[in-house]
Amino acid sequence: MIPQLVTVGYRPAGRHWRRLYIPVLPVALVASPLLLVAMAGGLVACHLFKVSPAGALRGLGQLLWALPGTRIEFQEGRTALLLSVR
Amino acid sequence: MNEQRRQILQMLAEGKITADEAERLISAVEREQPELPAAPRPKSRPRYLRVLVEDNSGTEPSRVNIRVPLQLLRAGVRLTSLVPPQALTRINTELDKSGVPIDLSELKPQQLEDLIDQLDEVTIDIEDADSKVQVFCE
Repeated sequence: MIPQLVTVGYRPAGRHWRRLYIPVLPVALVASPLLLVAMAGGLVACHLFKVSPAGALRGLGQLLWALPGTRIEFQEGRTALLLSVR
Repeated sequence: MNEQRRQILQMLAEGKITADEAERLISAVEREQPELPAAPRPKSRPRYLRVLVEDNSGTEPSRVNIRVPLQLLRAGVRLTSLVPPQALTRINTELDKSGVPIDLSELKPQQLEDLIDQLDEVTIDIEDADSKVQVFCE
């Protein structure tokens, strides 16, 4: 399953958590024109570096599909950073 | 059906014993052969690689907690097959210059996948007075 929600959290020292919830699918839909441009750029890059575009697309798809469940937390004293993919 | 129970039912069918006797015999056989404990359930395979680092050596404690799906590692490993050969050659040259004579082109994606498959059993636990590092699968 592709990621549905990405949570980015930041807690400055001595302050409350600030969390940003990013719904992936709606954001991807809104950014789809940019994604098309990025895909075209990727195709050109594949051609330049002699990499199979189908293999690259499949690899990226697998990477995207495997992302849910990832959670990264850093804490330094009272400062903290969180990245979670669901 | 086990052999003793079958024999008892056979004797009952042949009229050698009565139904009451057959019942008593079957009860006795069941008492002698307590039910086998349920087979242990197969242990579910870990899905995540967890890295925990705690460092209390500085003025303020720091902590890193990373959970990565093993599937993500596999997908990343598959991406290595897309690295262009000329890039591999350059990497090999630089590694050689740095005194690490490793030929990355000899490293096949299947070997890396096998490596990740065996990560299930890996547990690294390093601890000293001020810091602690743990790497394990869950």
